[in-house]
Amino acid sequence: MVLLSFCLGLVVGLSIWVWQQFQLNRYISQVLRPLTAQSSKVALPLIPRLRHELALVKYQGLQLQQQLQTYQDLLEFAPIGYLQLDDQNQLLWCNEQAREILYLQRWQPGQVRLLVELVRSYELDRLVERTRERQQLQIKEWEYHPSFENVAAMVDIKSLVLRATGLPLPKGQVGVFLENRQPLLEVNQVRDRAFSDLAHELRTPLTSIRLVVETLQDRLDSPLKRWVDRLMLEVDRLINLVQSWLDLTQLETNPTMQLARQTVDLRSLIISVWETLELSAQQRDMHFMYSGPDHVWVSADSSRMFQVFMNLLDNCIKYNLPGAKIHVDVKINARQEQVEGNTSNYLPSVEINIVDSGFGFSEEDLPHVFERFYRGDTSRTRATASEESITTIGTGLGLAIVRQIIIAHNGSIKAMNHPETGGAWMQIVLPGIMAKF
Amino acid sequence: MKAPLSNHGSNSSNNSESQLTRDIRRLERDVLRMGALTEKSFRLSHQALFARDLRAALELPQIDKRIDTFYRQIELECTLIMTSLAPTDRDLRCLSAFMQLVRDLERIGDYAEDLGEIAVKIFPYPQHRLLPEIAMMSHHAQAMLATSLVALADLDEVNARSIKYLDDTVDNAYERVYNALAQQHGISGALEPYLLLGLAIRCLERMADHATNIGQRVAYIVTGQRS
Repeated sequence: MVLLSFCLGLVVGLSIWVWQQFQLNRYISQVLRPLTAQSSKVALPLIPRLRHELALVKYQGLQLQQQLQTYQDLLEFAPIGYLQLDDQNQLLWCNEQAREILYLQRWQPGQVRLLVELVRSYELDRLVERTRERQQLQIKEWEYHPSFENVAAMVDIKSLVLRATGLPLPKGQVGVFLENRQPLLEVNQVRDRAFSDLAHELRTPLTSIRLVVETLQDRLDSPLKRWVDRLMLEVDRLINLVQSWLDLTQLETNPTMQLARQTVDLRSLIISVWETLELSAQQRDMHFMYSGPDHVWVSADSSRMFQVFMNLLDNCIKYNLPGAKIHVDVKINARQEQVEGNTSNYLPSVEINIVDSGFGFSEEDLPHVFERFYRGDTSRTRATASEESITTIGTGLGLAIVRQIIIAHNGSIKAMNHPETGGAWMQIVLPGIMAKF
Repeated sequence: MKAPLSNHGSNSSNNSESQLTRDIRRLERDVLRMGALTEKSFRLSHQALFARDLRAALELPQIDKRIDTFYRQIELECTLIMTSLAPTDRDLRCLSAFMQLVRDLERIGDYAEDLGEIAVKIFPYPQHRLLPEIAMMSHHAQAMLATSLVALADLDEVNARSIKYLDDTVDNAYERVYNALAQQHGISGALEPYLLLGLAIRCLERMADHATNIGQRVAYIVTGQRS
């Protein structure tokens, strides 16, 4: 009896043990299943397999850590700055370049501090905030003035133009790439200055050459005179180029001071420009149309604005096939959203659209059309430009000058292709309209 | 190491910081951002006055508006936290110091705007020979503002108290320039440039004073004692 109950107990105990073993094995193999996906295909006993898997996971973990370290090292020595901030704008990490750009010597790796405690830059903090709010890439370029506690450093150290790119990261974190644009800008300035110096030097001899050519023109007869006439055209072209460059430089360095503002009626200004161009337009059978109010008074420099419309309309005539139409539409925007940094925007602004029915700009040209000496499809423009009489547009500076003049007037200009006509579409917005009749 | 202001928050529930700590940190951030804006407007006013950069002068009213917005917002939030979250001793000190400190910052911003207006008015006149000295005075005042903001960021009492001594440099410069202006004889032409220079040094002297005040308030946050 005792033996029987002992056996029964043993059997029950054993069966429970077997059942548990079975459960455990099943559990372990379940755990292992996702891990064994690519590894050992040989069916090992359970425990060695478990050991093997654990070693594998450990190894993978180590490798991942190594990889992470490599990436971090790469970031640390990257040629552009990198900052990482948490959800409360505290600086978690930054690389060497960022420390250099932002003068972050006070920061120690591992320290978590508010970004503004270390870099008092409103713009940078704002960019981080905005990136987090909108959860999308944000780019900002601004002039960064490091602030210093001692006077000597303040006088010595120059400001930098920085470009920051904010990237939203998980958990409200934000990563910021910093580029120092200062060297690039300086190179550009040096180039422009060198070019202006050259232009200055060229102006005087060119004027003398022109005088000589003029004298020759009167004294030469038919076969030779033709050559000299041709020479005269080319000299004028060069003088124009030099003068345009000097104008442009002057406008750029001192945009607001150069304007002789007066009250100008836009409509009569545009019409008078057209009258000047009418002859060449008639030759190419171009049609001009004006729509808008009869009088639009704006405060502007009338000779500069004349130049703007001259360049724009002349472009329309040049880069269009004969028989094309040019439409100038003037509109008054009564309600105007307030733009930062511009107080005159409370006044209504005037919008001028110049649309032609030509080929328009090609997509890759559009972002560059206002750059100096940028010419779109060279095969087309060069050919037509050399046939034409000389105007400022032939220099490749026309649109750059237009843009500078508009900026000097606190306005803006955009180049687009018109969705209906397919031709070029220039849109100018000028603030500070006086009154309408 | 944590940010100085969050140290005392560690006794709250272990992994998440208390609401109060977070609120105070956000407030500190706003104060420092406002400080950064004030520094910027001071710098622009310097540029307008001494480099005759009128575009800088035109930017000033816009920035001043933003500074004012910060001022009102921070003051309101301080009051809100004081009444609703029952802060401890040190936090309370922090909050009351913030409230007074933003007032100083706001005043500095106002003076910067005044300097911008002076720059526009003085523009047509030839440059006065005392201008470099006044520019130096402005640099000193700016350095004081920077020092006070760094002291605030680090909660560094020693640095905060040192501003008082820097103020002497500005005060001496003020005296010197004032006397030099006052003793000028045989002035021909308009009096306006002299008046404007007098006003400008007054503004700068006041700005330096406010920067000193900020330093005092920071010291108060740290030690709890007014000097």
